[in-house]
Amino acid sequence: MANEILEEHIQNEYKWGFTTNIDTDEAPKGLNEDIIRFISAKKNEPEWMLEFRLKAFRNWQNMIEPTWAHVSYKKPDFQDIIYYSAPKPKKELASLDEVDPELLKTFEKLGISLEEQKRLSGVQSNIAVDIVFDSVSVKTTFKETLAEKGIIFCSFSEAVQDHPELVKKYMGMAVPPTDNFYAALNSAVFTDGSFCYIPKGVRSPMELSTYFRINASGTGQFERTLIIADEDSYVSYLEGCTAPQRDENQLHAAVVEIITHKNAEVKYSTVQNWYPGDKDGKGGIFNFVTKRGICLEDNSKISWTQVETGSAVTWKYPSVILKGNNSVGEFYSVAVTNNYQQADTGTKMIHIGKNTRSTIISKGISAGFSNNSYRGLVQIKKGASNARNFSQCDSLLMGDKCGAHTFPYIEIKDKSAIVEHEATTSKIGEDQLFYCKQRGIDNEKAIGLIVNGYCKEVLNKLPMEFAVEAQKLLAISLEGSVG
Amino acid sequence: MIETKSNITQTLLDQLQENAPKVDFMPDTEIISAIRYLEEKGIPNNKHEDYKYCNLEAVLRKEFKSVEQSFNELTNADIAPLKLDEAINLVVVNGNYNEALSEKMIVKGLTVKSLNELSASEKILLSSQAKSDTDALIALNAAFTGNGLFLKIETGNIIPMPLHVIYVNSGSSNIVSNTRSFIHIGASADVTLVESFFNIGTGKVFSNFVSEKFVGENAKLTCHTFQNEGALSYSVNTNQVKINKYSNYSNTTMTLSGELVRNNHNVVLADSNCEAHLNGLFISNGTQQIDNHTLIDHQMPHCESNELYKGIAKDKSIGTFNGKIFVRKDAQKTNAYQSSKNILMSDDAIINTKPQLEIYADDVKCSHGTSTGKIDTEALFYLKARGIGEESARKLLLQAFAQELIDKIEIPSLQERVLHLFEKAL
Repeated sequence: MANEILEEHIQNEYKWGFTTNIDTDEAPKGLNEDIIRFISAKKNEPEWMLEFRLKAFRNWQNMIEPTWAHVSYKKPDFQDIIYYSAPKPKKELASLDEVDPELLKTFEKLGISLEEQKRLSGVQSNIAVDIVFDSVSVKTTFKETLAEKGIIFCSFSEAVQDHPELVKKYMGMAVPPTDNFYAALNSAVFTDGSFCYIPKGVRSPMELSTYFRINASGTGQFERTLIIADEDSYVSYLEGCTAPQRDENQLHAAVVEIITHKNAEVKYSTVQNWYPGDKDGKGGIFNFVTKRGICLEDNSKISWTQVETGSAVTWKYPSVILKGNNSVGEFYSVAVTNNYQQADTGTKMIHIGKNTRSTIISKGISAGFSNNSYRGLVQIKKGASNARNFSQCDSLLMGDKCGAHTFPYIEIKDKSAIVEHEATTSKIGEDQLFYCKQRGIDNEKAIGLIVNGYCKEVLNKLPMEFAVEAQKLLAISLEGSVG
Repeated sequence: MIETKSNITQTLLDQLQENAPKVDFMPDTEIISAIRYLEEKGIPNNKHEDYKYCNLEAVLRKEFKSVEQSFNELTNADIAPLKLDEAINLVVVNGNYNEALSEKMIVKGLTVKSLNELSASEKILLSSQAKSDTDALIALNAAFTGNGLFLKIETGNIIPMPLHVIYVNSGSSNIVSNTRSFIHIGASADVTLVESFFNIGTGKVFSNFVSEKFVGENAKLTCHTFQNEGALSYSVNTNQVKINKYSNYSNTTMTLSGELVRNNHNVVLADSNCEAHLNGLFISNGTQQIDNHTLIDHQMPHCESNELYKGIAKDKSIGTFNGKIFVRKDAQKTNAYQSSKNILMSDDAIINTKPQLEIYADDVKCSHGTSTGKIDTEALFYLKARGIGEESARKLLLQAFAQELIDKIEIPSLQERVLHLFEKAL
């Protein structure tokens, strides 16, 4: 019985595998300084930006791909990637009606129709969407509402043009261009992304949201997001990703940087549902992302929440550097792998300031032939007195062909620190299932209930709009994977 | 121009080769391939994932640039204070089994001899678990090993009293001692074994110990490892243990001194229904480095493993626990637990922990927990409020923290010895 359901689920094709036909303006394949100059020129960037890119590129050339992660895949050929592809430029979009209808259809299929967003704009809680469609931000909604508050929320390239002083000051602060192989690559070739600045004392009236989507075949997606929260400000930022079905592996190497000033708080939520490859492990996205936040000043807070259900190979460690005194870092994660997916994900919490606190809750679920690893670092630097960390990593195994692993690193150099770490690995208990079934809940629903309960701690942290989608994704990813 | 760093591995190899001990049991081919492996890989440094917190290369470069191999001869008087009263004491000096210093007692089913005296059929068993192409330190041992100890308990024998192996090194200047032992517990046999490590010389010692232990079907091996090598000693202890169906293996490691102590404890649960229990306690001060590294390899179903490691780091010392539980595809119904608790007593002390789970079977219960902190201030206050001075209150709490592990030592005189040294170190 269980096997039948599993079979059925395994045979489910990727629901969002469709391609939008829009002419793209592409750079030739390959990577060299000329391509970088091409991208920079295409985007009409100032000289310092080009310098930043070239410096990163020169560093990247001397770096080697990391191999320490518990994943195995065919290394991408970096000369076989198109580093720039932009949908045909359409100027001055006054309303959503002017957006390419093909594009709108794509978003509709994803279930995040802009129309709905617009319709909702008259009502209470809203989400401002900055859509990244194959590397170029097409449309930023709600810009005007935000502008009233002084919030800058735009595409990265606009920010480079309009707010060069902010970009120049903060870019590379959390993730230096020399940080790691993929961050260096991104710094050299990033095409677009989102930029967000919350001024002093402002609480963002709505949740800001970006939907990433990889479209053209053979294009790498190199996004860059920069979020700056000035003193006493607050913002909740949502990121969602889906990519259409492709046979060759596509590379995604994004960089996300968050900087918080005194008393500021940033909450960053991700639902990642990129194409995971088919049931034989063919195709799928390589997701090699560097995400890092710095609590620069006192009493600031950065919170990462992620639901990872997609991608063939994931390599992602959203981290927080707790520099300011009394700053707080949080990491809540649900990672689901099925079929031949591989995920190596976790976090780093670097405690530098006094009285800093961090919490890590990671829930891994592996099914099919997949491998799911948690890899994390908690580091208490000398002088970070009264630092406190609590980590919990639980893994759930479904089927006997998958693997679940935990690699926590804990380094403590201050005696007043209190650090706790616990991890468990298990399968869904027969007694739990029996308990549910006894009360008239069928097998399928019981599993859904137990898995949802298992992930509840994390799902609760997601903003309402996302929680619904995340729950749906979990249900789709795991329906009947256990018996 | 960057000056190329001197290759410490090569320097060490050259010096050791000059007066390498001649042993019969280690085939020449094995020695040659071990040296080749060492030349290729070198002594591991902190770039090596398994030695991330224990940079052996740096230690050797700093302390063992020149090796004299000036070993001291030891007499009964030297050994007497190291012996345990209620045990049969066996002595291994500078890597060689010393029959003259060991106690002779005829016990049914017990064979004790040096590795050179092995029969052809026994020789085959050697190096089957400690393979020199897996670790540089095992290779170093294989290449320059002394004439170590072979200990065998025949099938079905229960040894009525503990066996105490005293591994003692003594040199008048820098020495490198490669000690090897092979412990074979036959089916349904039962024995308690104490392995003590000392350094009573005046020179620095780099002690590289490798022990292979084999526990037969339905057998029981209870081990206690007692490490008190002193400030002149830098030691790496590798235990490669393989246990069989229905067998039970337990080990309690007490680390009380030693400038650098690295313990590699690898246990393979090779068949179903067996149990392994690893425990460890250390207290470190000064600039000591204590690194406990364990690997539990669950290969077959219905097995159980337990780990409990505790540490107290004072002054500028560094304590590390790196434990890995590996559950293979066939090892269904595995229960594996791992716990590491540490107390930091000073702002200059460092605790690193890395508990790992790598699991490929679904019907298992595995968990690990680690916590690091300071002495509970509320508990301290409670005691102080009852008129106990701060210093003694702190000692009381630390003792309570360690007691759980000290209680695991079943041999009274050894327990007394540990307790005495532990209290002294507090």
